[in-house]
Amino acid sequence: MNAPIIDPLQGDFPEVIEEFLQHGNMKCIAFNRRGTLLAAGCANGSCVIWDFETRGVAKELRDKACVAPITSVCWSKYGHYLLASATDKSLTLWNVMNGEKITHITLQQTTLHARLHPGSCTPSLCLACPLSSAPILVDLNNGSSTVLPVSGTDNTNGNAVSHPRNKFSDGSLPFTPTAATFDKHGDLIYLGNSKGEILIVDSKNIRVNALIPIPGGSVVKDIVFSRNGQYLLTNSNDRVIRVYENLLPTKGAAKELEIMSDTDDKFPRIEKLKEVGTKCLRLSREFQDAVTKIQWKAPCFSGDGEWVIGASASKGEHKLYIWDRAGHLVKILEGPKEALIDLAWHPLRPLVVSVSVAGLVYIWAKDYTENWSAFAPDFKELEENEEYVEREDEFDLMPESEKVKELVINQDEEVDILTVEKDSAFSDSDASQEELCFLPAVPLPDVPEQQDKCLGSSLKLGDSNHTGSPFSVEAAQNGQAILPASSPLEVVGNSTPEEAVGTAGMKRKRKPSAKGMELQAEKGRKPQTKNKPSGKLSKPKSRSGDGIDTNGSVHEDDVTDEYL
Amino acid sequence: MDAAAIVATAPQPYVLQETLTSHNRAVSAVKFSPDGSLLASASGDKILRVWSTADFSLLTELSGHEEGISDLSFSSDGRYLCSASDDLTVRIWDLAAATAVKTLSGHSNYVFCCAYNPQSNMIASGSFDETVRVWEVKSGKCLRVLPAHSEPVTAVDFNYNGSLIVSSSYDGLCRIWDSATGHCMKTLIDDESPPVSFVKFSPNGNFVLAATLDNTLVKLLARASGGDLRLRTCTKVGLGLWHFSAGKFLKTYTGHANSRFCIPATFSVTNGKYIVSGSEDNCVYLWDLQTRKIVQKLEGHTDGVIAVSCHPSENMIASGALGNDKTVKVWVQRTEEQMED
Repeated sequence: MNAPIIDPLQGDFPEVIEEFLQHGNMKCIAFNRRGTLLAAGCANGSCVIWDFETRGVAKELRDKACVAPITSVCWSKYGHYLLASATDKSLTLWNVMNGEKITHITLQQTTLHARLHPGSCTPSLCLACPLSSAPILVDLNNGSSTVLPVSGTDNTNGNAVSHPRNKFSDGSLPFTPTAATFDKHGDLIYLGNSKGEILIVDSKNIRVNALIPIPGGSVVKDIVFSRNGQYLLTNSNDRVIRVYENLLPTKGAAKELEIMSDTDDKFPRIEKLKEVGTKCLRLSREFQDAVTKIQWKAPCFSGDGEWVIGASASKGEHKLYIWDRAGHLVKILEGPKEALIDLAWHPLRPLVVSVSVAGLVYIWAKDYTENWSAFAPDFKELEENEEYVEREDEFDLMPESEKVKELVINQDEEVDILTVEKDSAFSDSDASQEELCFLPAVPLPDVPEQQDKCLGSSLKLGDSNHTGSPFSVEAAQNGQAILPASSPLEVVGNSTPEEAVGTAGMKRKRKPSAKGMELQAEKGRKPQTKNKPSGKLSKPKSRSGDGIDTNGSVHEDDVTDEYL
Repeated sequence: MDAAAIVATAPQPYVLQETLTSHNRAVSAVKFSPDGSLLASASGDKILRVWSTADFSLLTELSGHEEGISDLSFSSDGRYLCSASDDLTVRIWDLAAATAVKTLSGHSNYVFCCAYNPQSNMIASGSFDETVRVWEVKSGKCLRVLPAHSEPVTAVDFNYNGSLIVSSSYDGLCRIWDSATGHCMKTLIDDESPPVSFVKFSPNGNFVLAATLDNTLVKLLARASGGDLRLRTCTKVGLGLWHFSAGKFLKTYTGHANSRFCIPATFSVTNGKYIVSGSEDNCVYLWDLQTRKIVQKLEGHTDGVIAVSCHPSENMIASGALGNDKTVKVWVQRTEEQMED
């Protein structure tokens, strides 16, 4: 976004946990196209939309009918809609702006991953990868669905039937999850099956047009495209992440492929599909941990496709591996001792978010080192000490030659103050299409009932007074001292308490500050969380006199601390 | 309309259309709402007033600040206003309900300037405590405190997509910040560093417009009471346009009088391109953006003009003046028919 003045040497992969987000029990995440909003699906069936600039909750999508844990979330191209799949076998399409449910349909199977068709801004088609059957294409308007073929052979009529060999004796479909994804424009579906093959399926006529066998031939768990559509990665059960180069053009890929697969028919079908497959994808890298041989979880590309990230699927481990596309492991990031369940790289920035099994979202960012020359442009930063050789005229009183040169600026040069340079990262943006990047921020009113609050907190303080602990006495005195004063100064009184909390939050470094309000709410209930230090830090603030807490929770918490 | 052609040769003059006289003290800021339907004015009398631009009737009076107000900014949808006051707070006002919905406190000295970002989910404020604070609109939390300057901060502004913040200060610097991370990205400094009294991004964000003062008498920084906090003294006057990526000082606009106050300037882009600024000689000045020539002086105020704003789509300028005048004046370019009348 700020490319022209960003320091190119500031690297571009994340290094440390910068912050974490907490709101309910989050299970899966997805960034919108510009990375301004982050959607998270929760265990209680709701979806939270985070404003990623302020790291505050912008919206909560919630409905009585949706109470089952969410398994995946997916944005529509321009961010107006959000598709969520849940363990109650349902797919829900939300209107993000007004928070209304547009469609809610129930399928035969629980969907593990649901992807909206990326080509249209008002999508009706979605790709659902169920727990235990072939992926299906679902029309959200009428609920009709088409089962996709999961094998290269018997798909002649387009109505795919699974390979007979894979069927159970009772005729049900095999219990093998099949990964699938749309390509950049949604013309093709790339499908990784249980036999370790990538099938390329035309999303219009549901015909397998190419087949690429993966070395090792084990079950494909994930299949993911890079944002620009030029690279594809697969994560297989053989503990290897493979990166393929997409040889098809991003535009009109379906047509190209059709032409290829329609020409000469002398080979048997399967051979021909493989032949075409070699012209579609080229294996470029394989990533694995040769020593520990761990399984990978939720691998994906960085926004610019330069990096690949994968998480360890081991239990009780929050470990992220970052490789560059040349194949080198560049970084291993280790988080808290909570297993990782989902991962996403920010579309523009060197920033990764990961979801832990505990339902928290961790934000990994660059460990920023202050660029001092940004503060003082006449200073130059050196990598190491250098012997300084002074210029001949450096200490001359009139180093005229130079001064004069610098001053020559043509003031009559025309300047263009209106034209906005196009953002190269979004070259395919359709200007006519309004993109939803932000949800309107409605300021929550300051607590209006100051009198009641004072009463409430004074009662609490009074109670705590009986315990005789030194701090509560002090707090109570402070509270009493303020009470009379706060009534005539209603307006100030109204506003200060919350701000006191706000500033306290801000002072506790960045980590907890983003969640101030939620934390305050949480604290009342469970003072013994890891956020306890924050409560302590806010003590001096409330002691300092201007803070009677809005809901008394800080005091309550402090008091609890005293009990312990 | 071939108005543009006329302007290219001899710009049609702006004439006084309206004088709004409700404020009891100096008018410190005037702003049009993003859709142009409203005009808001802030004053040392601690009250914000909102006017309709259709008939210039007074729509709302917003009172609640305990000291004079120095700046205001509309949210993008025009439903909210934020204001910066000497009572150390920034307040967010709901215009429909005509009440303050939020008070953002945390600054330890007068809050001098404030700005909504285009997404309107954040507010930046600059203060005499030498910091810039970034606030989350929804919760009112302070997201970041930027250790921005070593003297009072005189102006803050977001660029067109909200990714950058620019701040200016009496320490003679303009700094550009990444609004997402709060990192300083660039510092603009001239060979001399006179106090920078105002800064603003160009509409496309490629340039910043800065007003500078020289030889500031820092002892005048302490001010008596609300309203007149812009009291400064200086000798040299300058208003400059920077290309901030290159860090070059591109154009200078001079000729007005600006010796004591932080007077904002703005871009007029609705009919030709101009730079508009107030002046202490009771006039509003218009320069041609490219040639840097003064194209008009709007006379009518009876005291220094310390607030100006241009209508987003019409050829309309609003201005506000100091304590001896206390009025908001609205200036328009007459259409041909009106001129003939």
